Amino acid sequence: MAGPWWRQCRRWSTNVTSTGLFETLWQYSVRSVSVSASSLGRTSWSSWPGNEWRPSALPTQKKLHTVNLTSSITRHRSRLLDPTLQSCCCRTIHSDAKPKDPFTLAQKDLKSLYDDIRKELFVSKELKHLCDYYFDGKGKAIRPMIVVLMARALNIHSNRSGDLLPGQRAIAMISEMIHTASLVHDDVIDGSDKRRGKRTINEIWGERKAILAGDFILSAASMALARIGNITVVKVLSQVIEDLVRGEFMQLGSKETENERFKHYLEKTFKKTASLIANSCKAVSILVNSDPEVHEIAFQYGKNVGIAFQLVDDVLDFTSGASQLGKPCAADLKLGLATGPVLFACQQFPELHAMIMRRFTSKGDVDQAWQYVLQSDGVQQTTYLAQRYCQEAIRQISMLRPSAERDALIRLTEMVLTRDK
Amino acid sequence: MLLTTTLLPRVITCNWAQTPFFTFISSFISLFTGGGQRTLSLFSSSGPSNWNKVVSDAEKIVGYPTSFMSLRCLLSDELSNVAMHVRKLVGTQHPLLNTARGFVYDSKNNLQMRGLIVLLLSKAAGPSHASSDLLPQDMVSGIYPSQRNLAEITELIHTAFLVHRGIVNLKEWTVSDGPLKDMQFGNKMAVLSGDFLLANACTGLAQLDNTKVVELISSAIGDVVQGLYYENHNNNEEYSLTSGIDVATWEEQAFLSHGALLAKSCQAAMELAKHDKESQRLAYKYGKHLSLGHKLNSDLQPFVKSSVGEPASFCLSAAPVVFHRQIVGTERWLQLLQQAKTQRNQLDYSKLLAAVKSEKGVSSAVDLCCYHGNKALEAIQAFPSSEARSALENIASAITKI
Repeated sequence: MAGPWWRQCRRWSTNVTSTGLFETLWQYSVRSVSVSASSLGRTSWSSWPGNEWRPSALPTQKKLHTVNLTSSITRHRSRLLDPTLQSCCCRTIHSDAKPKDPFTLAQKDLKSLYDDIRKELFVSKELKHLCDYYFDGKGKAIRPMIVVLMARALNIHSNRSGDLLPGQRAIAMISEMIHTASLVHDDVIDGSDKRRGKRTINEIWGERKAILAGDFILSAASMALARIGNITVVKVLSQVIEDLVRGEFMQLGSKETENERFKHYLEKTFKKTASLIANSCKAVSILVNSDPEVHEIAFQYGKNVGIAFQLVDDVLDFTSGASQLGKPCAADLKLGLATGPVLFACQQFPELHAMIMRRFTSKGDVDQAWQYVLQSDGVQQTTYLAQRYCQEAIRQISMLRPSAERDALIRLTEMVLTRDK
Repeated sequence: MLLTTTLLPRVITCNWAQTPFFTFISSFISLFTGGGQRTLSLFSSSGPSNWNKVVSDAEKIVGYPTSFMSLRCLLSDELSNVAMHVRKLVGTQHPLLNTARGFVYDSKNNLQMRGLIVLLLSKAAGPSHASSDLLPQDMVSGIYPSQRNLAEITELIHTAFLVHRGIVNLKEWTVSDGPLKDMQFGNKMAVLSGDFLLANACTGLAQLDNTKVVELISSAIGDVVQGLYYENHNNNEEYSLTSGIDVATWEEQAFLSHGALLAKSCQAAMELAKHDKESQRLAYKYGKHLSLGHKLNSDLQPFVKSSVGEPASFCLSAAPVVFHRQIVGTERWLQLLQQAKTQRNQLDYSKLLAAVKSEKGVSSAVDLCCYHGNKALEAIQAFPSSEARSALENIASAITKI
């Protein structure tokens, strides 16, 4: 069980008042998700009343400061995060050894991950081939990695020594399966022909079969989930499936005002990316610890890392060359999606508003929008926002008892920010 | 003779048509198709029939049929959004539009039939003896709320696959078929709305608080996917012309695509009331044989009804054709296909129809249909006599009337 030391730590950390540029926006997103988390992961963003963030109302001085800070970080590719972060989060509970590389540390638990997933996909002939297609061992398996590290960190926190629980390992596997099933469907929705440097399933076998393959992977994931035998875990991860679809729906529409647009974007980002990570982390904590506050730490870490991960992804869509991400540049713009960098750029170039509303469909829109984004500080501001989410993730995970796995999760936030593909 | 094709739409009648789920589907559809006119005209075209009576009697037995879960679905922003977008598809050839109309028009879809059977079986099995958590006073018309939710989840899953079935392979689409953009858009809507229904089924399943049921129904989803995958494969005309499947394989695949979901939902309804393994096995058996009998019945329709002037329309993987091919042997079958080819290399289906009718393919399929109907009747006999059981018996008998 969690000793009083970490409760104290938590109390202390909640007293830390952040005074950053994104104060209001930040408060909005952090608070509204903790509201939602208390109701079993169901978000209620739209009903959140305190959203008064006005980009134009931000004090200029603060803004300049941040931009400088952020761009310098970007320029030097510094491995250090915002210095305030280290002083505020890791002070009391810093372990001496240099944190191990998360990938190395998680490897022993992920060795047979893809083999095990392929065993779950119990079906014959061609459909088997389609379902196995992306479980070729070449994926980064970021989600399973976070899940196993979190599980081990939580086990140590809960005084449980030894190996992962079988259910925790199953959740690592299920997280990758749900993720892949949604990718297969997304590729049909977006009409993509490339994924991870391979041709997509819809490109090779056609849309009809691709949709069925996605449905099959989902049903196999759902069966594996049920076999864990814990109905609370089933509920937590079923919520993810609903969030993924709702997130996809949210991409269909554009919001009229800036304020609504940003809120919509962050909510969509939570549902499409962070919910899976957050709820998988929560699920592994439910299996080892009965304290809801511990579940909340796991959820919050996953949520914040997940949002940061997606924000960086959205930045890379503008900054990375076509070869690195395995897909063409400005793919989001071409799909009509306005992500963080565009929304920030819109503050400096109001011309973008009309383009966002027509989803970059007029001739030349994509190139023009691209130019505006690169001329603005949209990329830097989005990166800065990602850093803030990582800081919050670190603040959360630091409430756990020290362990190599916990430190690896802290280190991971840094890698999320500095990755270039 | 029971003409399933024309009579089954009236599965949706009287009190059933006022349920939340029905309201959900029909408003969904009227949004899709741009008005409620067509929906209304459908219900006025009723006439007295055996099947109609069987079903409407059965509906009265289960009281109000569904919970309000689907109402939540209907009122969601997501579905109003889809409905709004899908209006744009009116006038195009995307199958999603037909799927949406088919909820109301097409006999094969049998909207709500599965839910009705799950409810009837729940009622026929009666209150739980094993569990202290399940209180008799929670039952409404002799059915537990969790069983009503399950009935609705079964319908959600079935509907999700009707939608996903209508995805178009874009590479097979030629310009003469219409603009590709419409098809891309229709696919997008079909993927999203099917996924939305499936996701709601998943969260609904979790709320049933029984991991065995979650596993069982999830495996049924996997079965349906496999069944549809094979169906996709077999319906490929080229494939049917060369190899084709035998009767045993046909039954296996028909079970996956048309029987597994109902069989497993029936079993799950027993599990939710903590009925013993034997009741679960019998419920599964009823669901399985009823679905197979029903599938045979609908496959037989083009071969038994007198369609004067109408062009023959059936699928080369329909049961009577599969029987016929097995009876006459591959060689004679291929000969027949050669003879039935027109100058434009198209198949003359009325020629094929006549050929199949002239041999034992049709009567073998009728026999198999009766076999499954009787097996379903047999399974239900172990349940205590009640009006719910009689309704299940009537439904099982009705599918054998061809």
